[in-house]
Amino acid sequence: MTRDEIKDVILEIIADIDEEADFASLDADAPLRDQLDLDSMDFLDIVMELRKRYKLQIPEEEYPQLATLTSCVNYLEPKLKNV
Amino acid sequence: MAPYQLLIIGGGLSGIAAGIRAARFGLKTLILEQHNLPGGLNSYYVRQGRLLETGLHAMTNCAAPGDKHAPLNRLFRQLHLSRKQFDLHEQMGSEIRFAGRSLLFTNDPAVLEAEIAREFPDAVDRFRRLKKILAAYDPFALVPWRSTRRFLAEQLRQPLLEDMLLLPLMVYGNAEEQDMDLGQFVIMFRAVFEEGFFRPAATIREFLDLLVRQYRDFGGELRYRSPVAAIMVKDGRATGVRLENGEVVRAEMVLSTAGIPETMRLSGWQGEQDRYLGRMSFMETISLVPRSQAPLLTQDRTIVFYHNGPRLQYQRPEDYLDTSWGVICFPEHFRGLPPAELLQIRVTNAACYPKWKGLSAEAYGLVKQQWTKAATSASEEIIGNYQPSIVYQDSFTPVTIERFTRKAQGAVYGSGVKIKAGTTPWPNLFLAGTDQGYLGIVGAMLSGITIVNQHILR
Repeated sequence: MTRDEIKDVILEIIADIDEEADFASLDADAPLRDQLDLDSMDFLDIVMELRKRYKLQIPEEEYPQLATLTSCVNYLEPKLKNV
Repeated sequence: MAPYQLLIIGGGLSGIAAGIRAARFGLKTLILEQHNLPGGLNSYYVRQGRLLETGLHAMTNCAAPGDKHAPLNRLFRQLHLSRKQFDLHEQMGSEIRFAGRSLLFTNDPAVLEAEIAREFPDAVDRFRRLKKILAAYDPFALVPWRSTRRFLAEQLRQPLLEDMLLLPLMVYGNAEEQDMDLGQFVIMFRAVFEEGFFRPAATIREFLDLLVRQYRDFGGELRYRSPVAAIMVKDGRATGVRLENGEVVRAEMVLSTAGIPETMRLSGWQGEQDRYLGRMSFMETISLVPRSQAPLLTQDRTIVFYHNGPRLQYQRPEDYLDTSWGVICFPEHFRGLPPAELLQIRVTNAACYPKWKGLSAEAYGLVKQQWTKAATSASEEIIGNYQPSIVYQDSFTPVTIERFTRKAQGAVYGSGVKIKAGTTPWPNLFLAGTDQGYLGIVGAMLSGITIVNQHILR
């Protein structure tokens, strides 16, 4: 997957988790949780959805790497390069 | 390999919510329900062509769709249900009535505050300060048990107001007698007095259908009429269950929503079973009355919490029933519901399980009839007469509750001592529901969700 495709997947997953999610003014380098008002339970859903779709096991200590949209893409790019 | 990754004992609200979470993320999941309907404590039955609910008076934690942090909306996100498409009906208003004193409350917390200013002018400033303390309190922090009674006595210094505030919160969510844990009080205060009561459109059946459909859409399996006889354990792990018909179902993990005493019995878990026997159970009487003949007073009340007597005694009574305090609920009195020709009047009183359990089959019917009459008469003292207009009446007792839900001793809020971590002596057997800690319909579902998130999806 390309970086743009990964970005789209993340946004699609978030939109699926939260019907109220508004991406209009999303800053790709600022924390997703604060901007979208997500809680830890929502955040877990992003991880679970990635696991379900791509069989990705993301250890808990690596969750901080999913903080912003850009850091998500950086973190997932090597893991999804053959998808 | 076991045919299921997760086996859930009990198709009540905590079990179904847990099932939705597990199935949503691809776990092969089976729910086993003993009854032929879902819902557990919050189910329904049909009499004379009319659907009657068993548990639901009102749901707590009312919230508008936009508020992302509201427990109700978090619940919907976790279950992947659209909150925007969910139609809810707010309460009209409820009343706490203690021998001539009255406090009204609605889903606007300002109403209760104004009522306290009117009825207890000397205490209203202390009540306002109390609300600030509660707003800053984290009820989910793992701290030792703390007495709500002592806290309120210090904060309010007004015993009658203390009892009046406690009655709705205890009767809708306290497994302990006389006192409650401060954390649970804070949860209930927010759920009832700040967020408030609502009902889903239609009945609990449609709400349960929505949940079961969601569970099945994610691939979850659900079997009714499948009572579990034992949780099988081998080499320090749960391996599955044996049903009453002898069938064995194996699974990698088991989640029991049957309560601690019942889970102990099923699994052979050695422990002090008595410590986990809840003592608060209730009898409920449902009367159907033509709208035109319903007591006038009740037309704009959703729920009336009443008490006659010196201090509130929230405890298992010594007699079959304690009619000195109770709840009178009008399930048709929520905003925007279509007018019904027949109104339900539901009266709930604390009941003594051992007394009811001790009755012979012949005596049971007669005693139930007597106490149904007593409960109805006690409610008439509060809302006015309606007995001559009753076209249908039915009651259920702690024994009925135990039979249909397996809640030991019919204790609807389960054990006074919770196992908040949801763990058992076996690393792959978990607890959810009433005895894990969160109570009420919203609470039960959050319990199922929390335990699956913490122990099963990780």
